[in-house]
Amino acid sequence: MAIRANPKLIEELETYGAQDVSKCYHCGNCSATCPFSQDPYILPRRSMRSLQMGLERKLEGDLEPWLCYYCGECSQECPRDAEPGETMMSLRRWLTSRYDFTGISKLFYRSWRIELAAILLVAMLTGLGFFLFGLSQGNIHHYDGVNAFLPGEKIHFFDWGLAIVLLVLLLTNCARMWWFTIGRDKSKRVPLTAYIKSAYLLPMHFMTQMRYAKCERKRPWVIHLILMLSYVTMLILIMFFVKRMAAGPAIDWRVHAFGLAATVGLLGTTIFAVRGRIKKTENHYKHSHETDWMFLILLIVVAGTGILQFILHRSGLDMAANITYVVHLMSVVPMLGLEVPFSKWSHLAYRPLAMYFAEIKAEAARAEARASQGVRAPQAA
Amino acid sequence: MEDLKIGVYVCNCGTNIAKVVDCDATIESASRLPGVAIARPYKYMCSNPGQEMIVADIREHGLNRVVVAACSPRMHEPTFRKALQQAGVNPYFLEMANIREQCSWVHEDGAVATEKAKALVKAAVLRVARHEPLERRSVDMCPDLLVIGGGIAGMTAALDLADAGSKIYLVERADHLGGNLARVDLTAPYLDSARDMLTDRMTRVVEHPNISLLLNSEVERLEGFVGNFQATIATKARNGNAADQVATVDVGSVVVCTGYKEFDASRITHYGYGKLPNVITSFEFEKMLREGGVETKEGKAPQYVAIIHCVGSRNLEFHAYCSRVCCMTALKYAHEVKSAVPGAYVSDIYIDMHAFGKGHEDFYRRSSEVKTLFLMYAKDDYPVIRRADAKDDCEMLIEVNESLSGETIEIPADMVILMVGMEARDDWADVAHLVNISGDKDGWFIESHPKLDPVATTTDGIYIAGACQAPKDIPDSVAQARAAAARILGRIAKGKLEIDAVFAEVDEDKCSGCRMCNELCPYTAIEFDAEKKRSHIISALCKACGACVAACPSGAIAARHFTDAQIFAQIEGVLA
Repeated sequence: MAIRANPKLIEELETYGAQDVSKCYHCGNCSATCPFSQDPYILPRRSMRSLQMGLERKLEGDLEPWLCYYCGECSQECPRDAEPGETMMSLRRWLTSRYDFTGISKLFYRSWRIELAAILLVAMLTGLGFFLFGLSQGNIHHYDGVNAFLPGEKIHFFDWGLAIVLLVLLLTNCARMWWFTIGRDKSKRVPLTAYIKSAYLLPMHFMTQMRYAKCERKRPWVIHLILMLSYVTMLILIMFFVKRMAAGPAIDWRVHAFGLAATVGLLGTTIFAVRGRIKKTENHYKHSHETDWMFLILLIVVAGTGILQFILHRSGLDMAANITYVVHLMSVVPMLGLEVPFSKWSHLAYRPLAMYFAEIKAEAARAEARASQGVRAPQAA
Repeated sequence: MEDLKIGVYVCNCGTNIAKVVDCDATIESASRLPGVAIARPYKYMCSNPGQEMIVADIREHGLNRVVVAACSPRMHEPTFRKALQQAGVNPYFLEMANIREQCSWVHEDGAVATEKAKALVKAAVLRVARHEPLERRSVDMCPDLLVIGGGIAGMTAALDLADAGSKIYLVERADHLGGNLARVDLTAPYLDSARDMLTDRMTRVVEHPNISLLLNSEVERLEGFVGNFQATIATKARNGNAADQVATVDVGSVVVCTGYKEFDASRITHYGYGKLPNVITSFEFEKMLREGGVETKEGKAPQYVAIIHCVGSRNLEFHAYCSRVCCMTALKYAHEVKSAVPGAYVSDIYIDMHAFGKGHEDFYRRSSEVKTLFLMYAKDDYPVIRRADAKDDCEMLIEVNESLSGETIEIPADMVILMVGMEARDDWADVAHLVNISGDKDGWFIESHPKLDPVATTTDGIYIAGACQAPKDIPDSVAQARAAAARILGRIAKGKLEIDAVFAEVDEDKCSGCRMCNELCPYTAIEFDAEKKRSHIISALCKACGACVAACPSGAIAARHFTDAQIFAQIEGVLA
């Protein structure tokens, strides 16, 4: 059955940052240079081709964009400057919007103004809410304790509430990703054992990003890993050790050491990335979508205000610390509430899932091959 | 007759001959043949030292015949004849024994090959003993010319020759100049207007004092030979009742520029040409462009335009060859569609993209930059066009087994342009017969040598230029036209032309006037003298093929340099 081609899709992808896809004439240099282009995957050429022809449904079910880490070798080798690396990046953005059932992701990727407005709106509402809440409940001159401007437990309660909402949204999107890439294809039956057998891959890829390490240049992997580990460390600290973090005045090195290290990690890597994107130092920094900037800036503001309010509080400047903390929350809430389910941050979930799904599919294919061999054997005898 | 003093030279041809044939044994055997004064080997006889050796031996030893045992005479017979002439010996006192193509290259057993080489050399020695001195003759070269076809090639050749001072008869069948190029809008890859290019040429042709432009005309007959042709040209009367005008003109050379015709797209049923209203040929699209509006038959601007390449070209069912211009023309359409209908999507469905010429690869690149969707199909796996359903946002759907992705896809289309290939004109065989040249299996006229002599033909004085020789684009057609002009001008500059001394002659006393030879001659070199009732051979046209010699029931025809005595001696030598 013929697949319907949609020549308009390529224009849709342009709003997600795709450029120059039409220039590709399929010499295959990109696939020759890509360390991940191994059977059954042809990275990035097949995705380029599907996109050129506008094979929408096929692209939707594709894992290939997530198996690419954007080392950019392909773009460098491309004789036609068709930017295959950036195409894969834009496909990841497009896929993110496809997985998201709310349609918010699509809005954000296609219009930076809407995303910015949404971030500012959420920030303002958050700021206003916490400020009014703080003024009505406590004393702006007190950072913690009974009279605190923003009592820790209540904030913590809010944190968990937000986390649950995010988790539900993200899990729904992940389920949709599964449906597009595995569930929908009735021709391939995946045995349940395959899901169990490969489950270890999820935390492994999440924590180590070992696949990224296969790219020829290692520095991008190191930077990316530090950023991710710092983020996760901070998340764990806040979700489980926030009381110890806020308690003073003595410094509890058991948590603060991790907190400081994570802050340094976050600020160091994000500043490195901003500098890289301005100066276009790396292949994957050459093209920046508006969402890339918003994500980085938010992250810097989150990390910066986080450490600043800590310093102010430890310096005894409670009022300044309180105000900084409100600003911190004004960036944390849009960061978590918008970026995680609807934008760049969601790849934290999609990437390891893609590796996991890829292995499941490979396992299913192997099982199928074994089964068909089993049928053939008696005939041969 | 003076004593025979034959020099035999055996060429090693590097190792081409020597690695199979025992050259020393061949020399040894040759030296014992009657009349052989000297026999020597050499590494490369065709080299300057090789030729000088022959000249020196002739001068020193008084040789009067030379046998060179080497390669086929096709390449180097003129070389060695020149050496003889230089040493003061008639150049026709040379015979070559082909011990390379006919011996060392086709035999593996050295001993047997050596025996064969000895026999071939002996045949040459016995033959050369019976050679007669022949003299080349020269005839006058008429500086006027006939150009057949008023397309870009014909006009270019006519202008170049006319500018040099020759009188040109430019014969065009249609009532206007320009040929197929006049049907084209812009040209690839620089998007120049074909009309601008043509208008300049056409004005110059019409106004040129040396060009006699004959529109609505055809060449009816061409007689004579190089330098001295008589062409009979019939011009259709404008008024239907009046009689056609017929004129006979003298010309020295003829340039054939009869061009091509486009492939009939309805021969391929998969594309529904003639059935689906918006499946059109490239020439129909050119017309649309020239008239300034790209629209469907329903008068709407097409949203999806598909272009299918190689229609009639590059498949065994129709024409195996590539038509050479369609790829770039298709890319040109991508640009022209986008400028006529800015929102349109263009799909270019091709087999291979042949972007071989100057500026073509860059043009290909630029076409992909304007977002042309390139889809590749395999030879003989035609895309299939069908009407779309009512729910689709397009009029037609084209199913393609797309090679680059391996997917079978359906691509929407509101207009499909078929890139029809070039084919030889229907009357190519008549033209070929008229000017006495040949066509290949596809009907393209055959050149004298595909690489080294691309515009001359096997008939001296007849040149071919443009797409009548093979599909080609404008620059190649123009280059050929100018090359033909240069060849002709070179000959005119000499004033006279030399004719080979080897040709057949009729002994009028023996000729019975049966005329059997007249029709047989592939070069139409034999004419019949009605008064004497004898056949006569025009020596300038004769190529000494020998057909008439063999056929003559009275044994009245003999070919110079191929006399019975010479051939029998040769046979005797081979069999000895």
